[in-house]
Amino acid sequence: MAARILIVEDSTLVTDAFQILFTETGYEVEVAATVADAIDRGTENTADIMLLDLTLPDGNGLEVLEALRQRGASPRATLAMTGHVDAKTRRECLDAGCADVLVKPLPIGDLLRHIQRHLS
Amino acid sequence: MSMSDRLDPAALKKRLKALEAQAKEAQCTIDELKSRDSLKTQFLSNISHDLRTPLAAIITHAEILRDGMLGELNTKQRESVRGIVNGGQQLLDMIDEILTYVRSEGDQIKLTRAEFSIAEVVDQVRMLNQPLAAKKHLTIERLNGDDLPPVYADRDKLRHVLGNLIGNAIKFTQAGGRIWIGFSLRGGNGEELLVEVGDTGQGIAREHHELVFREFAQVDASPSRPHHGTGLGLTIARKLVELHDGTIWVDSELGKGSRFFFTVPLDARRE
Repeated sequence: MAARILIVEDSTLVTDAFQILFTETGYEVEVAATVADAIDRGTENTADIMLLDLTLPDGNGLEVLEALRQRGASPRATLAMTGHVDAKTRRECLDAGCADVLVKPLPIGDLLRHIQRHLS
Repeated sequence: MSMSDRLDPAALKKRLKALEAQAKEAQCTIDELKSRDSLKTQFLSNISHDLRTPLAAIITHAEILRDGMLGELNTKQRESVRGIVNGGQQLLDMIDEILTYVRSEGDQIKLTRAEFSIAEVVDQVRMLNQPLAAKKHLTIERLNGDDLPPVYADRDKLRHVLGNLIGNAIKFTQAGGRIWIGFSLRGGNGEELLVEVGDTGQGIAREHHELVFREFAQVDASPSRPHHGTGLGLTIARKLVELHDGTIWVDSELGKGSRFFFTVPLDARRE
């Protein structure tokens, strides 16, 4: 069965591009644009990988992690995606349970490698 | 003012009042300028953030096409799509430079210090820039530094400074030229590390030595200038060096290459 990626990101420009990328590389893709939406979708179908934007219209992306954990629906790995990363943000993400913190946009080859690494 | 004016209390009082009014007015102007400046900085920050998202989407789409995920491209098509990716990447780098500048202006940059070998960082930056230098037949060499004491500094920030200086050297040095990085210890007990990034490039006239570090300033700011950029690279480099309590300067003459220097104190204590 194809691994499932949940993209949590509020820009449809970005999610449209990711949707093509991951569908073409054989993943099952689901998209959520808000914290609330991400919690709903993530609970309904546990994701293998969650790509998590930190700034969402209704709150901090890291809230999704905690909510999913409480519902017993944590993804196998969550990769935080942020435009700018400093030591403090990195620490917060790792403390919240992210497996990695990626600075977006990263080259698609790198992104796919990260995902594969966390799936294997 | 005549002698009698000076001694006349009424005239003095009047004069004092006028000066007070002037001072007040000047303070208002300062406040107004400060508030406009901070608005401009906020705008710069917002617009850069907002430019980043669609640009990220454009680059990702172009990479998907380039890598043949939606079907193989012929050579010409691939070249063209590569142009989109490279152009997008260059634009992204410029936007990031503006964001770094805005953050450094707002004192939002904090140092994360650790002990490391600066020679090693120089080698990493050299490697990263090797393809670009090779294209112009430039050599980049590290003259010394294998036996330096470790610095206690922010590795990423100093890498940024070195990347900027070496990047500039590549940009402004004619094909076949030479770029070098050297170190020396300064102060009685070697309490300061001096880093030099030199090149055999076009050089900078003496009257422009300060200007190159000024924000948005470019020696050749004409629209037809051969080298484009935000004009923020060296401003950011200076800010990052100063955050480390170091100084940065240039020694250069037009047509005789440039030598950029910066210092890193070696006696920084662990917090």
